[in-house]
Amino acid sequence: MREVFIVGAGMTQFGKHTDRSLRDLGREACLNALRDAGVKPKKIEAGYCGNALAPAIQGETGVGQNVFWEVGINEIPIVNVENACASGSTALREGWMAIASGFYDMVIVAGVEKTVMPKGAMLDVGAAELETKLGDVFPGQFALIAQKHMERYGTTREQMAKVSVKNHFNGTLNPYAQFQKQFTVEEVLNSPVVADPLTLFSCCPNSDGAAALILCSKKKAQRMKVRAVRIAASILTSGTYSNQRDITGWEIEKRAAEGAYQMASLGPKDVDLVEVHDAFTISEIIHYEDLGLCAPGEGGRFVEEGATELSGRIPVNPSGGLLAKGHPVGASGVAQVVEIVWQLRGEAGKRQVKNPRVGLAQIMGGYKEGDTRACTVHILIKD
Amino acid sequence: MEKNSLNETIQTWSLVEEGLFEYPIADNQVPALLANRCTKCGKTFFPKRSLCPYCFEKGEMKEIRLDRRGVIYACTVVHRNSPTGIVAPYAYGYVDIPVNKVRVFGLFVGSDPSSFTPGQEVQLVIEPIKIDHQGKQIIGYKFKPVS
Repeated sequence: MREVFIVGAGMTQFGKHTDRSLRDLGREACLNALRDAGVKPKKIEAGYCGNALAPAIQGETGVGQNVFWEVGINEIPIVNVENACASGSTALREGWMAIASGFYDMVIVAGVEKTVMPKGAMLDVGAAELETKLGDVFPGQFALIAQKHMERYGTTREQMAKVSVKNHFNGTLNPYAQFQKQFTVEEVLNSPVVADPLTLFSCCPNSDGAAALILCSKKKAQRMKVRAVRIAASILTSGTYSNQRDITGWEIEKRAAEGAYQMASLGPKDVDLVEVHDAFTISEIIHYEDLGLCAPGEGGRFVEEGATELSGRIPVNPSGGLLAKGHPVGASGVAQVVEIVWQLRGEAGKRQVKNPRVGLAQIMGGYKEGDTRACTVHILIKD
Repeated sequence: MEKNSLNETIQTWSLVEEGLFEYPIADNQVPALLANRCTKCGKTFFPKRSLCPYCFEKGEMKEIRLDRRGVIYACTVVHRNSPTGIVAPYAYGYVDIPVNKVRVFGLFVGSDPSSFTPGQEVQLVIEPIKIDHQGKQIIGYKFKPVS
């Protein structure tokens, strides 16, 4: 397997972009990434585009071909990738595999989504699943998880709220974040209840946005005047869907993390910053545990003691995470890695983590039989 | 069943999904969810599966009726109408059926939505979950407290 490097990163601000189309948002992100790499579109050999809901929400398919043609990319192999919230990161993995295996030397990866809905409407991802027809909703699924985590480990509402407080604070330092407003624990807890115990500010928003990366081989990266970041690990796993599993942790995530640490030949203690799938506050707490950043059940205390703040021992979601930065579903997996690239290069401005060398991005997506469908873990290293 | 002016029978309901339970049932009949069980490994599946994922073609799927008694594993109260038309506030979660060693998804009714709690004993009921845009009742299954 060959080494793969990220030589370009770009994204749009996440938020409400009612007047802009998927391809227009994608164009901005791809242009930023191409300019960042100093690469002309004709040099790209393959393209991978993550998008989860365009067919359902916009009635649009072939998003990848649309987005890439906006920046003059046509004729080459282009793949549209869907893995729910892990669509973008799965697209990244496809691009990584294509270069690692020797098929291509330079590819573009994008993630694009528009999920902003009319006020008060909940995301309608279709009713193919029986549970959805019976009233299952994403905040509800995570509310159940929160209940069991609180029951098993004594995790408190205040600890969960602290995740939102931390991430919204980080968001105020990120010009790309949807929310530029801080909250107190009280404000998070007193916001309207969506699915008990999860309140409005405990849940990530609906968002529009796009992010893109340029990947290439070591040989190409060495000839470029860019600060290249190496992809040291890329793992994708699927759920076990076992019927009576303990929902206070995700085995799918533990498997992905173990695989990534092994591939990168390092452990949780070597990681300098992390971007995780904080779709809901309880999610981030469990990700700390599943990724080995703290012991099982200790996630609530971990965020409470400030370990994961920007100035903490292991900053988590310096970008503001999905909670504050926003969550355009197919774009988030790519945006997490854009953030890590900026952080590793020292280009993260006011939210810069001190001298990071190793970054980890985790994201998971979809619901299936009480489990999640897909989970990715990527580890990036600034050699 | 209603009848129109031509004395034709009109069905005023439809099932949320086929094959989940028998409907309608007589007043003295016990409602039951229809599941199936692999004869090789003994695992129970609801809704029914065509193939055992653990035994592949070595297992044979046998239809069974689940016991109606369950214990709440986890529950929540949703305060927004679901995109599929379930009206808030409503409670739902997962129920473990001890007799069949299987966990099923379910709505919780028969008590204040916030009154449900893990460990609570509940039992199956078959009733409408909503009215569709044509005014038809959509029949589903739920769990209510054991009185």
